[in-house]
Amino acid sequence: MSAFYVVKEGIAGFKRARFAAFSSITAIALSLLLLAVLARVSFNAYELADSIRADVQVEIYLQDIDENRKNSIRQSLLEYSIVQEVEFVSREQAMEIFRADFGVESELLGNVNFLPASFKVITTPEARASEIQELVSEVRSYRGVEEVTFNQRGLELLEERLRVLIIVGILLGAFIGLIAMILVYNTIRLTIYSKKDLIKAMKLVGATNSFIKRPFMFEGVLQGLIASGVAILGMWALFQYVIPRYLPQAGVISWPFGEWYFLTGALIVLGLIMGYFSSRLAAKKFIRETGIS
Amino acid sequence: MADFVIDMRNVTVELDNRIILDDLDFSLKSTDFCYLIGTTGAGKSSFLKLLYRDLLPRYGDVQVGTFNVPRLKEKEVPMLRRSLGIVFQDFQLLPDRTVYENVAFALEVTGNKRSFIKKRVLECLALVGLSHKHANMPGDLSGGEQQRVVIARALANEPRIMLADEPTGNLDPEASRSIIQLLEQINNRGMAILLVTHNYDLVKSFPHRTLKLKNGKIYELSEQEIKDL
Repeated sequence: MSAFYVVKEGIAGFKRARFAAFSSITAIALSLLLLAVLARVSFNAYELADSIRADVQVEIYLQDIDENRKNSIRQSLLEYSIVQEVEFVSREQAMEIFRADFGVESELLGNVNFLPASFKVITTPEARASEIQELVSEVRSYRGVEEVTFNQRGLELLEERLRVLIIVGILLGAFIGLIAMILVYNTIRLTIYSKKDLIKAMKLVGATNSFIKRPFMFEGVLQGLIASGVAILGMWALFQYVIPRYLPQAGVISWPFGEWYFLTGALIVLGLIMGYFSSRLAAKKFIRETGIS
Repeated sequence: MADFVIDMRNVTVELDNRIILDDLDFSLKSTDFCYLIGTTGAGKSSFLKLLYRDLLPRYGDVQVGTFNVPRLKEKEVPMLRRSLGIVFQDFQLLPDRTVYENVAFALEVTGNKRSFIKKRVLECLALVGLSHKHANMPGDLSGGEQQRVVIARALANEPRIMLADEPTGNLDPEASRSIIQLLEQINNRGMAILLVTHNYDLVKSFPHRTLKLKNGKIYELSEQEIKDL
């Protein structure tokens, strides 16, 4: 089959149904732009959550126990897969930290050291709040442990918000993507109806269904590609100019994986996929129904 | 076996629980020029649809060239249609393309090279006497000329059979006569013609084998019956 014919017919179809093509390009572009914003924001939120998780500390305050018991507790802690690091803080070190934090006010206490020795446990970034909670419950029952603390509520809240953000993002993106695909589907359907005489004549002279379909699919792919371009321009404008100028506090939002081309490439691929599949579906269904069988 | 390009045996066609064609036999030789007549609703168009596989018989065999039509797979249908030249009453020309492009597209869809397409289109236009109008749009042509373009398009892929469904239905008597004369010329070059019509004057003026569809059955008319139409 002549590629020239497919391109010529695809572009001609595009010109014939300009308004329909414009509306589907706009819909795909908007959905891609929204997906790009969601992807970029979600990625940054995920990274932020990761760094917060990395900072989660469990503090285990100890009774007056001997060295053997301390070592035994340390060993038990290190056996947990979610424990990255265990640091012992002696009573003296705790006092020094206290003095550093409270400055002159701490002098009121004189030489009285009421602070217990403790283990500071740093968990791995992958550790979930529920796993940390389990560790805390178990450690609380250890002999020689006075008290265990960690910011459970904060971590749970972070996890919950992140989960909601990702779910809403995916659902919203899928919903808008679906609408865009329905619009492309309808555009191609209109184009097919507007060319029903051509399709009938093509069938009569022995054109195969795949031959008839290709210009329409090319048209859909072209719409997807143009929409990707529009979405990429919109994304650059948004993140390079609009946000830094009007919302500078959000200016730290970085490119996913640190490079511009991952998201840009993903938008092109997604636009092509949306254009290709929706036009293919429409062409398959409506070419069969048009003119002769 | 005779040199049949179409051979139908015991064909029954039902549409909406009504029998349109009832256990009929029909054959067409490669040199035949055959009229198919009948009243409106007699099943003439259904008969043609059977041949280009726009309709399937309830029973019976339909052989067109080397194709066993009812048993064709969907992907083989285009091959069958390339072996047929199909002409309709309502022209089916693409109004936004020139005469040349209308004929060329029959060759484009069958994947021919551009150099071949150019040569073949000019040959076909010459055959129908429209070489000088290759750059015109269909809207600039008379009805008779438009039908000639359709015939040129039907000839483009060098089919062995031409099926014409009321090709003179929208034409004045003079244009109708010239179209029949053109089809006779094409027939003389070795292509079988099956022409559906209800223009009995033409059938009488250009007598050929004539079949009549009535009550789902097919009858061959004698010379006298043709004269008496």
